[in-house]
Amino acid sequence: MDKKIGVYLCSGCGIGDALDVEKLAKVAEKECKAPVVKVHPFLCGAEGTALIRKDLEEGVNALVLGACSPRVKTEAFSFDPRMVLCRVNLREHVAWCHKPKDEDTQMLAEDYLRMGVVQAQKAEPLEPVSDPVSKAILVVGGGVTGITAALEAAAAGYEVVLVEKQNRLGGFLAGVKRGYPQAPPYVGLTPEEVAQKIQEVSYHPKVKVYTSAKILKTSGQPGMFDVSLDVGGREVTERVGAIVMATGWKPYDAAKLVHLGYGLSPDVVTNVEMERMLGEGALKRPSDGKAVESVLFVQCAGSRDKDHLPYCSSVCCMATLKHAALVHEQNADAKVFIVYKDMRTPGPYERFYREAQDHPLNFLTKGEVASVEKTPSGKLRVTVMNTLLGEAVALEVDLVVLAAGMVPNAADGEAIRALEDAKVKAVKGDTEGQRAEAAKKAEELKAHEGTEILNLTYRQGPDLPVLRYGFPDSHFVCFPYETRRTGIYAAGCVRAPMDTSHAREDAAGAAMKAIQCVELASRGQAVHPRAGDLSFPSFFLQRCTQCKRCTEECPFGTLDEDEKGTPKPNPYRCRRCGICMGACPERIISFKNYSVDMIASMIKAIEVPPEEDEKPRVLVFMCENDAYPALDVAGLNRVTYDPNVRVIPLRCLGSMNIVWIADALSGGIDGVMLVGCKYGDDYQCHFVRGSELANRRLENVKETLQRLQLESERIEVHQLAIHEYGKLPGLIDAFMEKIREMGPNPYKGF
Amino acid sequence: MAEAMTVRPDVRFIHEVLKSGGGDLKKCYQCATCSVVCTLSEEDRPFPRKQMVEAQWGLKERVLTDPAVWLCHNCGDCSTRCPRGARPGDVFGALRNQAIQHFAFPGFVGRLAARPAGLVVLLLIPALLFGAMASLSPAQQDEVLEFAARFPIPWLEALFFTVAGLVVLGFGVSLTRFVKGLRAHGATGNILSGLVPALVEILLHKRFQECGKEKNRYWGHLLTLWGFAGLAFMGTVVGMGTMAGFMHTPLPFLDPSRPVESFFKIFANVCAAVILVGLGILLVDRLGDPDKRKNSTYFDWLFLLCLTAVVFTGIASQFLRLMAAEPVMYGVYYVHLVLIFVLFLFAPYTKFAHMVYRTVALAAAGKK
Repeated sequence: MDKKIGVYLCSGCGIGDALDVEKLAKVAEKECKAPVVKVHPFLCGAEGTALIRKDLEEGVNALVLGACSPRVKTEAFSFDPRMVLCRVNLREHVAWCHKPKDEDTQMLAEDYLRMGVVQAQKAEPLEPVSDPVSKAILVVGGGVTGITAALEAAAAGYEVVLVEKQNRLGGFLAGVKRGYPQAPPYVGLTPEEVAQKIQEVSYHPKVKVYTSAKILKTSGQPGMFDVSLDVGGREVTERVGAIVMATGWKPYDAAKLVHLGYGLSPDVVTNVEMERMLGEGALKRPSDGKAVESVLFVQCAGSRDKDHLPYCSSVCCMATLKHAALVHEQNADAKVFIVYKDMRTPGPYERFYREAQDHPLNFLTKGEVASVEKTPSGKLRVTVMNTLLGEAVALEVDLVVLAAGMVPNAADGEAIRALEDAKVKAVKGDTEGQRAEAAKKAEELKAHEGTEILNLTYRQGPDLPVLRYGFPDSHFVCFPYETRRTGIYAAGCVRAPMDTSHAREDAAGAAMKAIQCVELASRGQAVHPRAGDLSFPSFFLQRCTQCKRCTEECPFGTLDEDEKGTPKPNPYRCRRCGICMGACPERIISFKNYSVDMIASMIKAIEVPPEEDEKPRVLVFMCENDAYPALDVAGLNRVTYDPNVRVIPLRCLGSMNIVWIADALSGGIDGVMLVGCKYGDDYQCHFVRGSELANRRLENVKETLQRLQLESERIEVHQLAIHEYGKLPGLIDAFMEKIREMGPNPYKGF
Repeated sequence: MAEAMTVRPDVRFIHEVLKSGGGDLKKCYQCATCSVVCTLSEEDRPFPRKQMVEAQWGLKERVLTDPAVWLCHNCGDCSTRCPRGARPGDVFGALRNQAIQHFAFPGFVGRLAARPAGLVVLLLIPALLFGAMASLSPAQQDEVLEFAARFPIPWLEALFFTVAGLVVLGFGVSLTRFVKGLRAHGATGNILSGLVPALVEILLHKRFQECGKEKNRYWGHLLTLWGFAGLAFMGTVVGMGTMAGFMHTPLPFLDPSRPVESFFKIFANVCAAVILVGLGILLVDRLGDPDKRKNSTYFDWLFLLCLTAVVFTGIASQFLRLMAAEPVMYGVYYVHLVLIFVLFLFAPYTKFAHMVYRTVALAAAGKK
């Protein structure tokens, strides 16, 4: 079907005051040869949209809307989602932030319109997909998080498969009899209610429970994961649509806490051991069975400590206060000392803390444990420095409890893959040196041997990639539960240390994400952050050179490989960021509505005035998640900046193909600016690594520049967060200034 | 590394402080708001925060020998400002009560005086003594009604001088212990030379005047102290004067022929009025504030009510005598004597002793 493009220009919201809209319409008509061009003073209103709909019925099948930012009025301008629709941002990026009725402003609008029409010409309507999709949800881990996630998903009407490694459900909580209060008035201890939940999930008609089970293999993609399980020696296969990983936590290895006395005496125990001891009945000294008259708790034992766990596990303080209450319950005369760095009892938990403070025989002090020694009388002498008493204090107690933190029960998929690669290379390496180096690397990664949990058949490794400290999360503040494997959501303590009430909330959240995933997959739509996107990448594999950049760089492990290294796409794993498209040196990866050719054509559509006009042109590639909306906000605030820039939004800066930079510079554009998200440890990239990868690719651009004999300063990269909109116009102006100083691009007019 | 102090919390002490008016002790979370508002706090000696944590941790010896405990005049600013309701002011009251009991000699009398059950014994001793005195005294039939008819002055004086001796002994030993403790704690002030400024301060209530929250207590305590001092002085002078024979009870109110005795009579009544007003203020203050009422203990009430009752029965005795209300006046006077006896004999063991401890502590602290 031939494309019939309709261009609709809105003159409302100040666009008509700043621009000569009729002149713009002429550009569309005469220059772009759009068959239908219409101007309306209020395009998003009922009359305006009716005008568009009428034309759609009469044969227009691709739209260019020259109006406001594509981020607003999406409801008014929602048509067939598969149709080509290009929004030209004449309001936020032109009318609101540049001099009205000015030549430069008009030129900017005209360029944007040309680029929009070219975009519509190059884009193709999307095709529907109809793969059969499973909506069942696999929950890995039968602790409080897993049980809750299973019950929540089942309550929403989804089939659930719950897999637990141990021979019973309940996880850590199964061994806990009493908990600290999690509801008003937040005082006193409460009975632990996990047993009831175990019953509920065990007999739920929508939940299939496998205990004593482990995952042999997880293959496939969202909507069609095939999971092989070993259930007590029997192999079972289940097809599910999404996975909630709730594998919980393990205590920090106390053997590393020798400096706090662990191993010195059986009377130095961890908080997990204390939990068990209190559950077993009368508290006794493990060394000689004598009654315990005094206990000292060391908080942050190996936590918030750069040599151990640098983070706070958030539960140890409350657990210790609970243990103190249990000690007093058993022995009203027992003294309980608590040495802390800071007590962290957030929110209403403060009430429980107060209750503990008020107990006559709880002695709390800030301080640092300097030593733990045995005394001749069989007690433990703990020396504490910098106490609230204003001096060092020695305390003689029967029992020392180290409140140690939580470590996620996760496997580092990328490390396991690296280990496997190194092992292969250690044997099959080309040179002696390579083999030795690989063997050394394999030795370094040995700890990851056999740690697999999900056993994914992914090219990038058999488990989720992990962030700092080994938590398999994608971005815990902005995108909780998201991992870097589409359709697999982390919940509970494997994601971040948390207590049971938080874990239950987390479970519900992750279950919702899993449901969202299977529903979107069933409609062929992308999940977060491009939720609802119907485009899929296509690979023109005949021209593939097996360079493996796409398979390695995809942050979501979308692409597997065949033996030769040719990518094997798993479209449902794809988040449509286009990072593979940016990576591909052969430019064989494209989307119907987003391609290397499309952006390159848009760049070519920019009119570059001759040198003597003294109108430089700077191209800005902007991440459409943070930088582009930031520029919208700048427009909303009527902040002005140089009108000689031309902004092209990218799905992710990682989708930037360096050929575009070469195209721009060789076409006479004077400078190129890239604005992406913050990367590094506290990255803000919606696609995890896109911004970082774009930066890395720029290294290669320098080569291109040298070939073109251009200054490397003609390219600038910036990291910008969405709230930094105030900085953006300044950045643009400063770059323009620099470009003017540098003089025009010598390739102008070629 | 400095030698670490081995801490063994005195659990009993903690419970005692909690029971004796410091019920909110454990609430303190060491934020030091109290130290910010308290004028006594010094940069290197955060007061009363430090004493709070020491008391929380049951460091009995250390906290009870701290002169700072006595420098506090319970102005209440800390208690008002405390964000956690730990009421440091009240805790310090409890600590002072604990100190009096801790240093008391002999110890068992201290324990007796601190318990409501001991009150029976406290009252029984003078009740029997004065009962015996009244029944054994030679019956005299004067035309003027006079208490000395039933309670002969020489007998009373002999008895009270004995009491005074015991009190001096009790205080002597207690204070020796106390001073030893203060010295061990590091108080270096010369007590003898410090005594005069300490007494001046106490008599003028300079520190009380600085109290923000408790302006009333300044007047209450000042009037009580001055009234009490006047009455104590009067009682001693008249007793000794009568013994020496140049005074004759009952003293006349306005008798130009006996100007000295008339002066004393009027002076005594003025003092009684002054102390009555002072006590009234203190009672209203203590009863009016629910928090303070809650934290007032037997130890506080024993002293305050005993003193009030002594003043009341004293005034009542005089009026009943003038009204010739025989024999009721003898009964009331009997009660008056019993209470005076309790007040004085047990002074080293009741809150009465705070007068002496505070004076010594102020002198020994060696600071203003």
